[in-house]
Amino acid sequence: MLFQWGLRKKQPANSATTKEQEQSGQAKDVPNGSLDTIVNVNIDIVQRTTGNSSDIVIRRFTIGEENPIHAAIVFTDGLVDEKIIYNFLLESLMTVNIPSSFSPKDLFLFIEQKLAAVGGVKHVQQWFDVFSSLLSGQTIIFIDGIPTALSASTKGGEYRSIEEPSTQLAIRGPREGFTESLRTNTAMIRRRIKNPNLWLETMKIGEVTQTDVGIMYIKGIANDEIVEEVKKRLRSIHIDSVFESGYIEQLIEDQTFTLFPTTYHTERPDVVAANLVEGRVAVIVDGTPFVLLAPAVFIQFFQAVEDYYARFDIATALRFLRVLIFFISLVAPAVYISATTFHQEMIPTPLVIAIAAQREAVPFPAFVEALIMEVTFEILREAGVRLPRAVGQAVSIVGALVIGQSAVEAGIVSSAMVIIVSITAIASFATPSFAIAISARLIRFLLMFLAAMFGFYGVIIGLLLMTIHLCSLRSFGVPYMSPLAPFIPANAGDTIFRVPTWAFKERPRLINQANIIRQGENQRPQPPDETNNE
Amino acid sequence: MEQTKINARQLFVLIVLFEHGSTMVIPLGGEAKQDVWLAILIGMIIGLLLFLVYYRLYLYYPDLPLTGYIQDITGPIFGKIFALVYVLYFLYLVARVLRDFGELLLTFAYPETPLFVLNAIMMLTVMYAVYKGIEVLARTGELFFTLLYVLAISGMILVVAAKLIDIHRLQPVLEEGWRRVFKVVFHQTLYIPFGEIIVFTMLFPYINNPKKTKIVALSAMTLSGINLAIMMTVNVAVLGADAVSRSTFPLLNTIREIQVANFLERLDVFFMIALIIGGFFKIGVFFYAAVIGAAHLFNVKEHHRLVYPLGLASLLLSIAVASNFPEHVKEGVNIATVYIHMPLQIILPVLLLAIAWIRQRM
Repeated sequence: MLFQWGLRKKQPANSATTKEQEQSGQAKDVPNGSLDTIVNVNIDIVQRTTGNSSDIVIRRFTIGEENPIHAAIVFTDGLVDEKIIYNFLLESLMTVNIPSSFSPKDLFLFIEQKLAAVGGVKHVQQWFDVFSSLLSGQTIIFIDGIPTALSASTKGGEYRSIEEPSTQLAIRGPREGFTESLRTNTAMIRRRIKNPNLWLETMKIGEVTQTDVGIMYIKGIANDEIVEEVKKRLRSIHIDSVFESGYIEQLIEDQTFTLFPTTYHTERPDVVAANLVEGRVAVIVDGTPFVLLAPAVFIQFFQAVEDYYARFDIATALRFLRVLIFFISLVAPAVYISATTFHQEMIPTPLVIAIAAQREAVPFPAFVEALIMEVTFEILREAGVRLPRAVGQAVSIVGALVIGQSAVEAGIVSSAMVIIVSITAIASFATPSFAIAISARLIRFLLMFLAAMFGFYGVIIGLLLMTIHLCSLRSFGVPYMSPLAPFIPANAGDTIFRVPTWAFKERPRLINQANIIRQGENQRPQPPDETNNE
Repeated sequence: MEQTKINARQLFVLIVLFEHGSTMVIPLGGEAKQDVWLAILIGMIIGLLLFLVYYRLYLYYPDLPLTGYIQDITGPIFGKIFALVYVLYFLYLVARVLRDFGELLLTFAYPETPLFVLNAIMMLTVMYAVYKGIEVLARTGELFFTLLYVLAISGMILVVAAKLIDIHRLQPVLEEGWRRVFKVVFHQTLYIPFGEIIVFTMLFPYINNPKKTKIVALSAMTLSGINLAIMMTVNVAVLGADAVSRSTFPLLNTIREIQVANFLERLDVFFMIALIIGGFFKIGVFFYAAVIGAAHLFNVKEHHRLVYPLGLASLLLSIAVASNFPEHVKEGVNIATVYIHMPLQIILPVLLLAIAWIRQRM
């Protein structure tokens, strides 16, 4: 603070820097104004601003023998590739021989053009730029006598390597998943879509963290209005920090008060590439392997990536199964409660007698029984997710006791209830997208309440309300239930059915309006012409 | 006025769901005995003609709902009164259908639950949908249309598979001549459900492709008429004409008869789903018409602000409309048809058309 005051005295801030300040929101922390001509003063400023942080490496040296010019390079340890710095910058800078007639200006240009043997070299004059490039892995070269520094691209450092994604596994399909590095992720997408129309725009979000966020879309396929809308929503974000794409997701979604996700996130580059080709926009956040896709529609959460790699009949059968699974995970306990409490006549007589016999020893009404079991299961699941891996086995043993024969023998629940809870649990794990499975978890409890109060009437009304709500949602202007409601026949082939690949004639119409033709005519494979064979 | 639009397919779906509404569960035209299908189909044909009257009026005023052009045709004072009458009529129909619906649930599954609670749950759902607007109602319709058809087709297959249909129960045709058939037509099937299509005059301004309105509405009404006729015929063929005319819910009785493979039986849930979906759309469309009619009449810019007061009013009205179910039915059959439906569905629209036609000529 004190220093900033001193700097202002020396160099009154010009209008450009104030603008910079406003954008960065860092006016308090980073000195404004431009660089000094004296290296030592500049180094001093760097040291004071970073609080002498030990990972900011400062190397002072001189260039030239007869008329040495003072210089220094500054970089952040760990964010740079040290080999590049030593081999291509430091070595050449320290061993070069320059004529004594060289002015600092000449030296500066000489370094830029001949010595700095790295990919990208930029001029930086403002302190704001200096710090933002320094802290994202660039190396800054200060030279005495010039109020400009060079910023050389030396990004590197340790990242998690590309591994198989831990969510959305597929038996058939690519094995690589996104990493925490934005650049690696964009490269993985580019490798899949080798097209100059794949555009990437980056911006920094988070006033303190200055996180890089990339927006990727295919120009000419993506709907310009949606791209603009995504950018507009991203630009209007003003928060201090972004550590995961979930922060962005919650700030750009259309409606907050809904149990359903209106953006899609994935760890798989092939999913992102396929969605980009359909016209969606990807938002990639540095520091997380989860990439956001917008707009998202409801049916998308039932599409596993393998549906498109497997043949269509298998894929269609699996889609049906998944919708059924989602439905079971929603209503199974509610149906049990209503059937045993209100509508015994709807259960076949032998079964109703069996259930009644089991429930004889149970002291609770069906609703309480179901609630106990469901909550127990949620506890187990939560424990399983957060637990250190070594303790995991203990949980599964205890879990088998709590949801199992012992619970029945203790007379707390009936064995039919155990089966219902188990099938609900398995169904909820089998839902392909975790985001939608978690919505089903919450809605299940609401439906259980309705079932306990009104039986099947309550359950049906609950599902009706849910459907109305789903129909009222939009994701970036696109109706959430499309292409089912509003029904779009040309796109209905990729919903709960999956038509053969040759029949995918059009891209989703609501998401994309410019370029909807996906493939040529006559893509249907034909047996060879018999007359030719003879 | 809401700015959103619905497309031709959504209009089709809404009309079909609306026409099925609660009519598919009640003994529609049951007094015509085995000629019930004739009564329904003739009611439908006259209903189609009636629709052409409404459509002609709509062509004169393509941007206005019924409560809007009625003021233009009959002048500001009478117009406002008539518009108010129609808003009240739609609200009355909301209450009526809601009462029907609640009583059905009460007698068939929830004898101990208070009627008010059953009605309130339904009305809250309708209010939520109408609050979200016509677009949401129409999209919900598209989803449930498929479900209803899946239910109807599988129900039909089960009825046939259970060997319940006895064609002889449909004979003799016209046992007591045309007189009985037309009596039923002009006492019931013309007004409910076909004359009730007048409520869609409130929705026509929202259609994004007005050229298709006529063909879509006519085909939707025809489809519903045929479906209802098939459904009632099946009921008669399964239960017999006497049982149908005495039964409160012939469809439920038919479904309860189904027994296939000692496993598929007691499919009351089918009935309940059909009842709730049908009731929801019927009440929903009436309520939406009442809300936008009131908003238009009283110059309320955001129609959804009227959803809560009017919803509460029709909920209370549904309880107050009759002191018990027999009274409610008697009122519906004997009083409402002659003194409410006929003037508002036939006489007034025809007069309006005549005035509009004359004024057009002048």
